[in-house]
Amino acid sequence: MKKLIGPLIFLAVAGVFAYMYFTGGLESVKKPQPAQSVDVAAFVGGEKMAFLDNPEVGRILKERHGVHLNPTKAGSIEMVSGLPTAGKDALWPSNQIAAEIYRNKGGSSLAVETVFNSPIVLYAYDIVADALIQQGIVVKRSESYYIVDFPKLVRYIMEGKTWKEIGLPQLFGKVGIHSTDPTRSNSGNMFAGLLANMLNGATVVTADTLDNVLPQLVEYFRLRGHMEHSSGDIFKNFITTGVGARPIIVGYENQLVEFTLENERYRDYLREKIRTLYPEPTVWSSHPVIALTPAGKRLIEALKDEELQKIAWERHGFRSGLMGVENDPAVLDVLGIPKEITSVMPMPDAATMSRIITALENK
Amino acid sequence: MKRNLFPLCLLILLAAAALFSCGGDKDATDNQKAPASSGTRLTIVSGSENKGLEPLIMAFARKKGAAIDIDYMGSVDMTLMLAEKGKDLPYDAVWPANTLWITLGDAHNAVKKAESIMRSPVVLGIKKPVAERLGWIDKEIAIPDILEAAQAGKLRFAMTSATQSNSGASAYIGFLYAFSGASGSGSVLQMEHLEKPAVQDKVRDLLSRVNRSSGSSGWLKETLVEHYERFQAMFNYEAMIIEANQELTSQGKPPLYAVYPADGIMIADSPLGYVDKGDAEKTALFDELQAYLLSPEVQDEIMRQGRRTGLIGINPDKVDKSVFNPAWGIDVNRIISPVPTPGEPVIRKALSLYQVSLRKPSLTAYVVDVSGSMQGQGLEDLKAAMTTLLDPDLARRYMLQASDKDIHIVLPFNSAPQDGVKTQGNSPDVLSGLLAFVQGLQAGGGTDIYAAAARGLELIGGVDNMEDYFPAVILMTDGQSKGEIATLSAAIRKTPMGADIPVFSITFGDADERQLEEISGMTVGRVFPGKNLIKAFRAAKGYN
Repeated sequence: MKKLIGPLIFLAVAGVFAYMYFTGGLESVKKPQPAQSVDVAAFVGGEKMAFLDNPEVGRILKERHGVHLNPTKAGSIEMVSGLPTAGKDALWPSNQIAAEIYRNKGGSSLAVETVFNSPIVLYAYDIVADALIQQGIVVKRSESYYIVDFPKLVRYIMEGKTWKEIGLPQLFGKVGIHSTDPTRSNSGNMFAGLLANMLNGATVVTADTLDNVLPQLVEYFRLRGHMEHSSGDIFKNFITTGVGARPIIVGYENQLVEFTLENERYRDYLREKIRTLYPEPTVWSSHPVIALTPAGKRLIEALKDEELQKIAWERHGFRSGLMGVENDPAVLDVLGIPKEITSVMPMPDAATMSRIITALENK
Repeated sequence: MKRNLFPLCLLILLAAAALFSCGGDKDATDNQKAPASSGTRLTIVSGSENKGLEPLIMAFARKKGAAIDIDYMGSVDMTLMLAEKGKDLPYDAVWPANTLWITLGDAHNAVKKAESIMRSPVVLGIKKPVAERLGWIDKEIAIPDILEAAQAGKLRFAMTSATQSNSGASAYIGFLYAFSGASGSGSVLQMEHLEKPAVQDKVRDLLSRVNRSSGSSGWLKETLVEHYERFQAMFNYEAMIIEANQELTSQGKPPLYAVYPADGIMIADSPLGYVDKGDAEKTALFDELQAYLLSPEVQDEIMRQGRRTGLIGINPDKVDKSVFNPAWGIDVNRIISPVPTPGEPVIRKALSLYQVSLRKPSLTAYVVDVSGSMQGQGLEDLKAAMTTLLDPDLARRYMLQASDKDIHIVLPFNSAPQDGVKTQGNSPDVLSGLLAFVQGLQAGGGTDIYAAAARGLELIGGVDNMEDYFPAVILMTDGQSKGEIATLSAAIRKTPMGADIPVFSITFGDADERQLEEISGMTVGRVFPGKNLIKAFRAAKGYN
């Protein structure tokens, strides 16, 4: 309490001076703003809903920053291209491309800032990861698994190699990676970008090189059949139906962390059976907040709160998007999460991604 | 494609269908209702395989002092209703057997918060003595083995209609996959696979070995338990095999033995989803219900009822072996590689192919009441119902199209059977001829359903190669019958395979359900109360 008295006196004095200046017709001097409460309406990508549903997060936003957030779940692409944004203060998609699309179509914003990051990873069952190590596709460094020869894995899939041929006779059918529908869901969309880069000799696809890889990319997704529409669904299905149904899936790094923390009773089994495979290089799913109003800007500032960033990492697995914030995997107690993601490549640009999605929609 | 499937003119039909609870599922009309003290009421439309879980939900409702109503409906009905009504669905929540049906129907994105409550693979449950005779105990069986045994006359099996029910659709897609060559190479079923004559022939052959069909998985299980001697095997959910076995063993009968065809299994994931109409109290109740069903205690309880929950896919150690009983062939250690779900256009095409070409053709005698009491509304309703089947656009809408081999008999009756018509196929001439006959029917005279049903059986019995068809009598009546049931039992004895021809009854007006139930019991049929005649008619038709 004592600590507060000083500033309070200062505020009172400042207020008096401000009043004097104002009434005297002189130039006004703004007094420091206390955190005035503000309602923030935002479209938010579904993978952040658990974070926002966390009561602790709501409390900090409100009590410390006066931000009362009213989130509406929406797809990353639809929120910047299709949905009416009237009445919204912010958009919070799950990738940088979405922000780029928004800018390209002339959408105005007061600020854009990336507050979280999560790399795109593959999740595999233990036996599958072991087989991929045997094939020289995956290596294990300390406790983490890295896909060091992604093009080889893609080649196996395109050639129709069977699981049996790579030493997994207990699995039926061909080597494959399950992802969400790239035309509907962000993780599938980003995987399509990563795959396009891989097909392009592990370099970023551009408008000039896209035609070289597009037919293969379209064929790849045509052969997938039905794909889930949500990253959350595919992850849960992966966990609940077992290795036979989905030996490998595409997801965000934070999903296993979040799921493990929400399902403590499964922790030992998840640790024993599930491996996070980091593509080298991978792509970042970054989470930029696009502020449309001053209230939206308040949200950006609030999300930089040190404690919120800590909760995002420790309870939900989101790495910080801010400079200088370290994420220590030791606190998570989930095996195989590296301290840093060092090998990252950019996604193809927004125009190129749009062409990819259009081609996949018409496949 | 979509425009074709869902013409606007059917809106009214659909609204009617949607408002009626379950297609003749009488349990739906008298299911236990929870007290409505809090005033919050949640309505759920669910697959019939979830009926065993109703007590769990009712316990929740009682605890909350809320009212929860559950109607049971086939997956295709749910899909059609979602496609047409979107957010105006006359239910607050949907609980189909597979997410697929939400994906196919929910063009309006009306269903939110869908979460899989449990899993169950569709397997073949064979009477254990039959499985022993086939040498299938502890053996890897694939779909071609099943075809071979059936071709050799060693196996007949039952399954639900692929265009009415998820378990039937799952088995059928498994057949296509197994014979398409896609399974050997592990790729997903594609349009071009469906067009191969060799694939079609094999699947048609296998489907011709089906000796009992049904519009719903739950009812198929109940019928098998009740008429054990008439069945050898059924494709159904592992959970339904377990439920059947619990009942069979308590009756001292040999259980079914589950076979998991390696090349043709699909897994039902039973998603419970919410249709938000802006009622915050309902939303809160739904959230609580879903959280309750997903809570560790309730998940364990659901598992004790034979459904796979939790991490059973990777952690079979916790499983109760008296439920997931290895002696019944139930195998939780097996790695199941399900059929990769085909793309939506491929599924739509496959279902239509089933209906018009691959399924076992039906041989149906529509025995229709034209007694005096049918005058007016009754006869109008009857004609409207028949039109649903005979008008190609309407029939396609409900996936009830006739195939080119179906045989249709229309037999009007009052105090005695009248002159009827018999015809085969699905050409426009054939169907419009039948429709004209139906439209010309006049009402008058008394009622004798026994003599009429007997005549229906006789006409069916007169068809050559009757065993190539699903025979059924669909009796539509509003009357108290005169006459003697002995007339019918005599006809059953006289007709070849007479006891295997179900008589389905659709009632309307003041029909005496007691008389009709008696007929159903005698013929393994079923009574569909026709409060909404069109819906009941559709349901009855789904069983053959």
